[in-house]
Amino acid sequence: MARVLVLGAGVAGHTAAAFARKWLGREHDVTVVSPRDYYNWIPSNIWVGVGLMRPEQVTFPLRPVYDRAGITFVHGAARAIHPEGDRADATPFVMVEPAGAPGTRTRVPYDYLINATGPRLRFDRTPGLGPDGHSHSVCTEDHAVHAARAFDTSVARMRRGERQRFVVGVGHGTCTCEGAAFEYIVNLEFELRARGVRDKAEITWLTNEYELGDFGMGGMHFRTGGYVQPSSAFNASLFAERGIDWVTRAHTRAVEPGRVHYEQVDGTVGELPFDFAMLLPPFSGVGITAVDRDGADITARLFQPNEFMKVDADYAAKPYEDWRARDWPRTYQSPAYRNVFAAGIAFAPPHAISRPYATPSGAAVAPAPPRTGMPSAMIGKTVARSIVDMIHGADTPTRTASMAEMGAACVASAGANPFTGTAAAMTVFPVIPDFETYPEYGRDLDRTFGEIGLAGHWIKIILHHLFLYKARLRPGWSLIPE
Amino acid sequence: MAPTPTTHVAKPTRWTVFLRTFIPWQLWRFAMINLRMLDIIRRSHRH
Repeated sequence: MARVLVLGAGVAGHTAAAFARKWLGREHDVTVVSPRDYYNWIPSNIWVGVGLMRPEQVTFPLRPVYDRAGITFVHGAARAIHPEGDRADATPFVMVEPAGAPGTRTRVPYDYLINATGPRLRFDRTPGLGPDGHSHSVCTEDHAVHAARAFDTSVARMRRGERQRFVVGVGHGTCTCEGAAFEYIVNLEFELRARGVRDKAEITWLTNEYELGDFGMGGMHFRTGGYVQPSSAFNASLFAERGIDWVTRAHTRAVEPGRVHYEQVDGTVGELPFDFAMLLPPFSGVGITAVDRDGADITARLFQPNEFMKVDADYAAKPYEDWRARDWPRTYQSPAYRNVFAAGIAFAPPHAISRPYATPSGAAVAPAPPRTGMPSAMIGKTVARSIVDMIHGADTPTRTASMAEMGAACVASAGANPFTGTAAAMTVFPVIPDFETYPEYGRDLDRTFGEIGLAGHWIKIILHHLFLYKARLRPGWSLIPE
Repeated sequence: MAPTPTTHVAKPTRWTVFLRTFIPWQLWRFAMINLRMLDIIRRSHRH
């Protein structure tokens, strides 16, 4: 019997656990450890954040799903990986802090480990940032609910004739997931129009992107109207059309009540007054430690300083100009332990995709690479397949899922209405630009495109229901592609 | 009027904006976008 242990029940972890369970015989055990006992389809949180969905429409309890599927669920947070066991027992295990029992520890043994713990939301990196400070977030459904309440309050004030200032974007120079904030700002603008108060609102996009439409992936290029256009033109047009102003190349220094302070790459120091701010936090790994059999700390062997797990990537320090698509991981296997893998946001990217900058005062303005959505699920599934094959006798991982060899389909909502809504439907191939294969733009322009329209919104709605159906492991779930 | 970042940006024509929510055209685009996405999904599942 083999024990497969998955840390985390987000897109990557849940996908990995579901496929491992499907492909392994019942004599093997699949266990999921997660501090949350429910699944959250995070891409739809933006709709919760403007009051268009309730939290229960983007979440469901995990335990009944896992009970039905034959997956063991441990409600708790992984604290330490012991890949060599300890002096008394060489069986690898993870020390877990059970939910509701802070300070206590439980050993969960494994033969194969998938670290899919996702990010820690580092609101603490910017003074005043986040729901415990002075701005909102849509990173969790709970944050989104609070954002929606504040949004409703602003709308009520506008209906009384007051003007309101909205600032949406990122709360630090090293943030990622600009795409989610982008979706939120255009949905917010759409909702203000739908509620008849758009004329009372000033809306500003605050971002660490050097150019609009960078999204932490160096932007994209599309063939359109007889030109090859950068995504910056695409996004700028969308914002101009909707009357949204923007501040780019910015590190958010602090958020005070009603005021956000920023510094730009050219040294400009500015502030934006606001009545409502939704600013995403930077991410780090969740801070799991690693311990060898003698009790010595070996965290640095398994993790990068940013707390994301090292996998089969090229982490050699080198200038931005020298990185190559092949530096990116393919199997997501830890170089330190052959039975340890990482999937989704938890793996450490080898370098930035977007060119990193810094402000004159030294603050990094460097969008971090996105590892969410379709690539995250693809990696989870690939890792599960490799582990299943290794359990069945393979010496090394059998499958690869390099983000430099896979594409991604993304639908960014720009207004939710079945007849008047729109969304930007985009595909990129590959996710990581490969300038050796595609010298001019780094991507295959036959397979990288974007367009805005109602069709995109229909697709977004269908994907919402389809992926929640799949995550609930309903009949035929595995036929739905990642 | 004070200049804003939006001053020098391309904006869609009324026709373009109309097509974005014109249902017969969007049904066609729905089919085309799905075909493009299926191509990406197929290529990404090869490994």
